[in-house]
Amino acid sequence: MRLYSASSEETLRARQLLKEWRDDGFLTEVQYERLEKETVSDLRTTNLFLRLALFFFTLISVAASAGLWFAVFVSRPSQQTTGAFLLIFAVACYAAAEVAGSRLRLYRYGIEEALTVCSVAFLCAGMQAAFFSSILYSPHPDASQFLVPAAGAVFSLWIWHRFGLWYAFPAAMIFLIFLPNYSSFSHAAQHLTVAVFYASGLLCVAVARSRHHFDYLEKVYSLAEAFLWFGIYLAINLQISSLDLPARQWGGNRIASQFGRPFYWTTWVLIWCLPPLVLARGVRQKNRPVIAAGLIVAVLTLISNKPYLGWPRHTWDPMLLGVLLTGVAVFVRRWLDRGLGRQRNGYTAERLSGKDEHSIGTASAVFGLITPSSITPVAQTNNQGVRFGGGSSGGGGASSEF
Amino acid sequence: MTILARLEQWKEQGAISPEQHAHLASLSREGPFPLFLELNILLYAGVLTFVAGLGWTVSTWSQQIGDVLILAALSAILAACFWYCFSRATAWSPTEVPAPSPIFDYVLYLGSLVWCVELAYLEKRFHLLSGQWDLYLLASAGLFFILAYRFDNRFVLSLALSSLAGWFGLTISGWPSHGDADYRQYALLYSLIVGIGGTVSQRRGLKPHFFGTYLNIAANVLFWALLSGVFNPQDYGLWFLGLLIGCGASLAWGLTRRQFVFVAYAAVYGYVGVSSILLRNIPDPTAVLAYFVVTGVMMLVALVLVARRFGRSA
Repeated sequence: MRLYSASSEETLRARQLLKEWRDDGFLTEVQYERLEKETVSDLRTTNLFLRLALFFFTLISVAASAGLWFAVFVSRPSQQTTGAFLLIFAVACYAAAEVAGSRLRLYRYGIEEALTVCSVAFLCAGMQAAFFSSILYSPHPDASQFLVPAAGAVFSLWIWHRFGLWYAFPAAMIFLIFLPNYSSFSHAAQHLTVAVFYASGLLCVAVARSRHHFDYLEKVYSLAEAFLWFGIYLAINLQISSLDLPARQWGGNRIASQFGRPFYWTTWVLIWCLPPLVLARGVRQKNRPVIAAGLIVAVLTLISNKPYLGWPRHTWDPMLLGVLLTGVAVFVRRWLDRGLGRQRNGYTAERLSGKDEHSIGTASAVFGLITPSSITPVAQTNNQGVRFGGGSSGGGGASSEF
Repeated sequence: MTILARLEQWKEQGAISPEQHAHLASLSREGPFPLFLELNILLYAGVLTFVAGLGWTVSTWSQQIGDVLILAALSAILAACFWYCFSRATAWSPTEVPAPSPIFDYVLYLGSLVWCVELAYLEKRFHLLSGQWDLYLLASAGLFFILAYRFDNRFVLSLALSSLAGWFGLTISGWPSHGDADYRQYALLYSLIVGIGGTVSQRRGLKPHFFGTYLNIAANVLFWALLSGVFNPQDYGLWFLGLLIGCGASLAWGLTRRQFVFVAYAAVYGYVGVSSILLRNIPDPTAVLAYFVVTGVMMLVALVLVARRFGRSA
């Protein structure tokens, strides 16, 4: 069912680990060169930046090809004709992705990835145009329209499984969000339906993951599990998942009135129960993506608690949150450092891999440029046009807008 | 074959020692699980949210709290941060040095951001420089460069570079008549200064690991400036020539140094610039689409050749 064989993927993983271990000094150069020869894979890979560039140009080529087809061969097509052709493009793109993966052995190469993305987009657009174009702008959508996001979700899941592309999984989850919109369910039932979908997925992924300890699929399932926990949390946190933006920002009462009081307060209890549950599971299984999901949902709970309760926000709330986050980080680090061998329960605060340091170095350079403008008001300039500098990007966070 | 089975095999072959096997197997299995990355992200998020709240509080409650109290509080935080950094710092070294404590980099970053908030407050309330914001930014950039080099901190280096960019931008916006051309020229000057500064710093052995940050920022600003010139309806020839030269240089640098982000810059920025020149007088949408199909495929072929020749990742 998977496009790439387990041995090919394990070999690639081994090769990657060898590189990391050499960089961290756990292997000598001589050992690395010897072992590298034993980890030659038949898959063609490339580095991240060329992968992104190849993805970009494949998207351009495919989109332009589709446009050219309509411009040259089909004049003034009906919605149904357009839809039919889009479905044909979807099939063609998917077939091309299969060939790129199976024959050309492209693996995370950008090209086959862009082709799969295009195939999902063409499938959904094609189905919508071919079968539901007449009711596209109707105020009362046809219940059968649920087939479009359902097809998108199923196809994305298939691509996730077949090609192992991690981002196809959250894409499938996003498609699922739209499914209850075509039903006559109440708002509460819609949220509940999405949460149940994700919970079912979580069960399946948890079972599948338990069979893949220490192999290349463990990471894939860990990531999927983290996305599902995050999705469940978003589905039950009515302050975040509600589309009523002003109400979400400035008070919970209006959102509370959209839902029944028991449902509303049950979700409030759940958003406090879920973060410790997710964190505990992540910590117990040493599952990095799930730990990250647990931390994120914990922060989101702290942020959304006041709107939930209908309490007013204060300008110093972010300061308190900042102190709390920093305090937790310092406390955990010190607690781990005081353990035997600077470890507790198999956890350490020390850096064990140069990869972590490199990630932080790169992130610090990038976020250092972005964050000053996002956390402080925009600087005052006379020119309204978008220009180089202008003080609106960066400026060390200094601003004239106090 | 899983990595654990491979390690076992390599140990039996004598390719790795039993000690190495034990260590590497522990790393791939249930070995010590490092929370280094997570704790650093928490610290970073904590500093950012704290400063965001500080700025929001100061700007909202300045009338009620009073200038003296606000400035005293900001100055106290600033002094505490810088006292911590200067008292804990190890001796200066031109090479990369590890932070003396896990929270050191974040305390310095907090101090730098609070400095920005305090300057902004001072100017807003007292108009010390009569609205000449560019001077604040220039001074901040200077301070941040000194701090970045003294304490070996890339967060603060990025702040310095963005403050310098802000200074260029604000300086031009204060001119009585300014246009795109002014911004473009100063963007070029900025990228030149940053590029040369980074190169000199690296050649002299002054924090050579900062060079990547300098070069990436210089390249991106340069390409944006050149592209905005190429998009001009008239007098775009020199800018186009500059773009071609820049792309060539970026490509050569990326291939020789195996820094493929520069190959990607050359491909994407170059493609956008060349396309804008070639398509500007073509009104026929079919021809435009045909152009994108043909050139898109050409770019794909070229990049695949580059990837096969140079860019295997694993």
